[in-house]
Amino acid sequence: MDSTDIEYIGEHLLPGQLGNIFVAIAFFASFFAMFSYFKALKSKEESWQNLGRLFFRIHSLSVAGIALTLFYIIFNHYFEYNYAYQHSSTELPLRYMLSCFWEGQEGSFLLWIFWHVVLGNILIHTARSWEYSTMMIFSSVQVLLTSMLLGVYVFGIKIGSNPFMLLRENPEMMNIPLFRNPNYASLIEGSGLNPLLQNYWMTIHPPTLFLGFASTLIPFCYAVAALIEKRHIEWLKPALPWTFFGILILGTGVLMGGAWAYEALSFGGFWAWDPVENASLVPWLFFVGAGHLMLINRNKKSEPTSLNSTYLVTIFTFLLILYSTYLTRSGILGETSVHSFADGMPGQLIFFLSLYVLGSLALFIYRYKSIPSVKEEEVFLSREFWMLIGSFVLVISAFQIIFTTSIPVINAVFGTNMAPPIDAIDHFNSWQVPFAIVIAILMAFGQFLSYKKTDPKKYVIKVLPASVLSLVLTISLILLLKLASIILMVLMFASMLTILLNANYFIRILKGKIKNGGASIAHVGFGLIILGSLLSAGMKEVISINSSGIDIRMEGEEKDANLENILLYKNDTLRMGNYLVSYVGKEKQGINILYEVHYTDRDNPDINFSLFPRIQLNKNMGNVPEPDTKHFLHKDLFTHVTYVNETDFEENVTKDYEVIDTLKIKKGDSTIIPPYLVHLNGISNDVPKEHYGLKDDDIAIKAILLFDNMHDSIYSFEPILVIKDSRLFYVHDESEELGIRIALTGINPENGEMSFVIEKDKNKKEDFIIMKAAIFPFINVLWIGCVIMIIGTAIAIYNRIRKS
Amino acid sequence: MKKIHIIAIVIIAISVGVIISTIADSSTYTGFEIAKLNPDTEFQVVGVLNPESEMTYNPEVSPFFSFYLIDKEGKEELVKFNGSKPQDFERSDQIVITGQYVQGEFIASKILMKCPSKYNNGQEVEVKAGQES
Repeated sequence: MDSTDIEYIGEHLLPGQLGNIFVAIAFFASFFAMFSYFKALKSKEESWQNLGRLFFRIHSLSVAGIALTLFYIIFNHYFEYNYAYQHSSTELPLRYMLSCFWEGQEGSFLLWIFWHVVLGNILIHTARSWEYSTMMIFSSVQVLLTSMLLGVYVFGIKIGSNPFMLLRENPEMMNIPLFRNPNYASLIEGSGLNPLLQNYWMTIHPPTLFLGFASTLIPFCYAVAALIEKRHIEWLKPALPWTFFGILILGTGVLMGGAWAYEALSFGGFWAWDPVENASLVPWLFFVGAGHLMLINRNKKSEPTSLNSTYLVTIFTFLLILYSTYLTRSGILGETSVHSFADGMPGQLIFFLSLYVLGSLALFIYRYKSIPSVKEEEVFLSREFWMLIGSFVLVISAFQIIFTTSIPVINAVFGTNMAPPIDAIDHFNSWQVPFAIVIAILMAFGQFLSYKKTDPKKYVIKVLPASVLSLVLTISLILLLKLASIILMVLMFASMLTILLNANYFIRILKGKIKNGGASIAHVGFGLIILGSLLSAGMKEVISINSSGIDIRMEGEEKDANLENILLYKNDTLRMGNYLVSYVGKEKQGINILYEVHYTDRDNPDINFSLFPRIQLNKNMGNVPEPDTKHFLHKDLFTHVTYVNETDFEENVTKDYEVIDTLKIKKGDSTIIPPYLVHLNGISNDVPKEHYGLKDDDIAIKAILLFDNMHDSIYSFEPILVIKDSRLFYVHDESEELGIRIALTGINPENGEMSFVIEKDKNKKEDFIIMKAAIFPFINVLWIGCVIMIIGTAIAIYNRIRKS
Repeated sequence: MKKIHIIAIVIIAISVGVIISTIADSSTYTGFEIAKLNPDTEFQVVGVLNPESEMTYNPEVSPFFSFYLIDKEGKEELVKFNGSKPQDFERSDQIVITGQYVQGEFIASKILMKCPSKYNNGQEVEVKAGQES
C-alpha cells in the first residue's frame, strides 16, 4: 500500500502549517525589506524607509513565530515532526528543552537568524543616517539565512531544510513499515538529545556564541555601507562599539566552549585545537584585529593610515563566520560525507559565501581609489604603529589556524589527499605560541606609547620598573615550578609583562579610574589567560601512570609501555601521584552510572574526597563518559573513566555457571583455587530441616568453606548435602559478589574427604574501572583571566557609548 | 623602502612559512600496504571495522586492545592499540587510525571514530593511546 493513501490519525499538523507560513512570511518580508531599503537609499524618500522598517518588523515577528512554533512542538513532544523526533525525547528534563532547539542544523540557523533580528531592530533605531544602506545589507543576509529554512525544491535543487518537516516526509525514514499504521503518531518516541549536550554549559554556550556570530554582521554592514556611500571615515564611529560588543560576546562564547569541553568532554583539557573550536576562534582573532584597526583610524581621523586594512579585516570577520559555518555544518571536516545534512545545504552555503566574498571584494576594488590614505611614513615610536603590527599578527595567526583547519577543503578543491597533522596540538602550538609571545609583548609595551609621537627616554623610564619586576617574578616562578621548556619561559615572561605593565599603566597613568581603564583591564585579563593556559596545559601532569605491577608490556616489546590509563579493581587502592586512590563502587542514577573514586592525600590524610566520573547511557546514541573534577584553589584534579565492563550497562545479566574446579578436601585442610586460599573450616548438621521440607530422619550436612582473597576479605560458603529417601540433593551456596557457587557433592566415610563442585558465573566480571587522572595546575588563573578580560572589554564599550 | 613595505614582506614571508609548514606537517591517508613498506613511520589509515573478526580486550589481563581493520584498498590487518577500548567502538561506521608498523605489527597510537550520523551530526570521537616513556 502506498503510504500517501493512508489517512493518518493523531498527528498535530496545525503547528507545522503555521510554522511553514511563518517561514514563508519571514523569507519574503526580508526580501521586501531589502528592496525597500534599496529604494530608500536611491531615492532618499522617507516612505520607502517606513516600508523597509515595516517589512523588517514583519520579518522579525515571523522569525519569533517560527521559534515559538518549533519550541511548542518540542515542548509538547510531537514526535511526528522530524526535528522533535531527532533531537528530543519524553523523558528529557525541561532545562534541556532549549538545547534540543539548537542541536540540529535548522535550529542553529534559526537561533542565528533570531539574534540577527534582535540586533537588526536595535540597528534600525541607532543607525540614523546609516539606516538605508546598513539595513539593506542586513536584510539581504536575512534573505539568504531564512532561505536555509525553506525546504523547497526549485528546479530540482533543494533550497534549505525545513524545521517543520514531518518524520514520514524524511527521505531516510519514509519507507519504514511504521508509517503503514495510520495511528503511528501515538507510537513513536523521540531519539533524545545527545547526552554530551545535556550539560548546563550547553544551554548557555550556543546562544552566546551565535549572538557573537550575529554581532559580526553589524560592523560588516557599516563597512560595506561606507564603501557604497563613500563615507570612509564616518563609519568607524558607529561601528566601533558594535565591534567591541561583538569581541566581548564572541570571545565569551568561545571561552564557554572551552569550559564546556573541559567540564564535559574527555578531551583532557581546555583547548585542543579541534576544528570546531578553531572555526569560532579565527573570526574572533580577526574581529579583535578589526577593532584595533578601527581604534587607530578613529584616533587619527584627519590622517587615516590604514583604512584599507580596516575595511578588509572588518569585512573578512563576517565572511569568516560564514566560512566557519560552512566548515562545521557541511560535513566537509569529516572524512566522508555520510552525514544527514540537507542535500542542497553545502551548495547553498558555498553560494552564499561566494556571493558575499566576491560582492564585497568587487565593491572594495571599485572604491579603492576613493579611500583616503596618507602618504606620510608611520612614526616608529607611536602607539598606532605597533597597534597596526599587532593587528597584522592577529590576522596572520588566524590565517595559520584556518589554513591547517581547511585541509579537507584544500583536498576537495585541489583533489589532494592530505591528512591533518598527526600531532595537531604540537603543530598549532609551534606557530601560535610564538604569535602569542609577540602579541603579549606588543600589548605590554604598546599601552605606554602615545599616539603620534613618544619621547624615547621618558618611555624607557616609564616601562622599566614593571619590566624588571616581571623578569624577577618570571625567574622565580620558573625556578619554583621547575619549568623546563625555553619557549614556555619566554611566553611566561611575555604574559607577565602584559599583566604587570598594563596594571601599572592603569594605576599610574589612568590613576585607577575604572571607566578609562577598560583596555588596560582587558589586556591584564588576556595576560592572565596566557599565563593560566601555559601553566595548566604546559605543566599538566597525568598521575594515573600504571604502577600496579600488572605486566603491561606488549609481546616482543622491550621497553615498558607506561600507560596513562590505570586499571582499578573494586576496593583496590593504588598510588597515583600524591594520592592514594581507590575505586569504591558504582551506582546508577537515572541515565548515568556514577563510579565513585576515592582520593586520599598521602601527606595529609585529612584531605580525602570522592569524585564521581560517570558514563551516560543512551540507547540511541551510545554511552558517553563524562569526567569529574575536584577544584582546588591552585589546581584541578581531573578524573574520567575510559573503560568499564560492558555488563555494567545491562539491566539484568543472566547467570551462566560453568564448573571451574572440583575439590576433595578434609576438614581443617587448605588448598588454593587462584586467587583464593580455600579452607574447609568445619562440618555441621545444624540445618533448619523444616526450611527445606525435610523430615527428621533425612540427613542434611552443611560444610563451611572459607575463601580468603589473601588481601582483605574472607567469604564464607555453606553448601548443604541432603540425603532424602536414599537420594542425594545439593543445596548450592552462592556469592553474588564473587559470582561463585559451590555444591557439596559427597563425603567419603573412610577418610573424611569431602567433595565440592565449584562453579563460576561466566557473565560475572570482576568489578573494575579503567580510569585516567590528571592535575591541571593553576587553571584558576585562566578562569580569572577570562572574567577580567570580559569585564575590561565591557567597561571599554560602556565608556565608548557613554562618550558618544 | 618604507616601513609598510618591510611589514608587507614580513607578512608574506610568514604566510608562506605557514603554508609550507602545514604541508610539511600534514600526513597522508594511506593503506596498510604503504605503511608496511615504511616501518617505524607514522601514517593515518582510514578503514572500517571487520564485524566478523575478533576484537580482543581483556583489561584484567592486558591493557592492549586489538581489532581487525579493513582499509580502503580492502586489506585487512590486525591493529594493536596501546590503550583502552573506546566506548561504543562497535558502533563506529568509519575509523581513522594513526600508527606505524613495529616489527611487522601495526601499532596504533590514536583512534578517531566516526559514529553514525544520528550521533550529533557525525561527531568524531578521538582516543589516544598512553604515551610510551
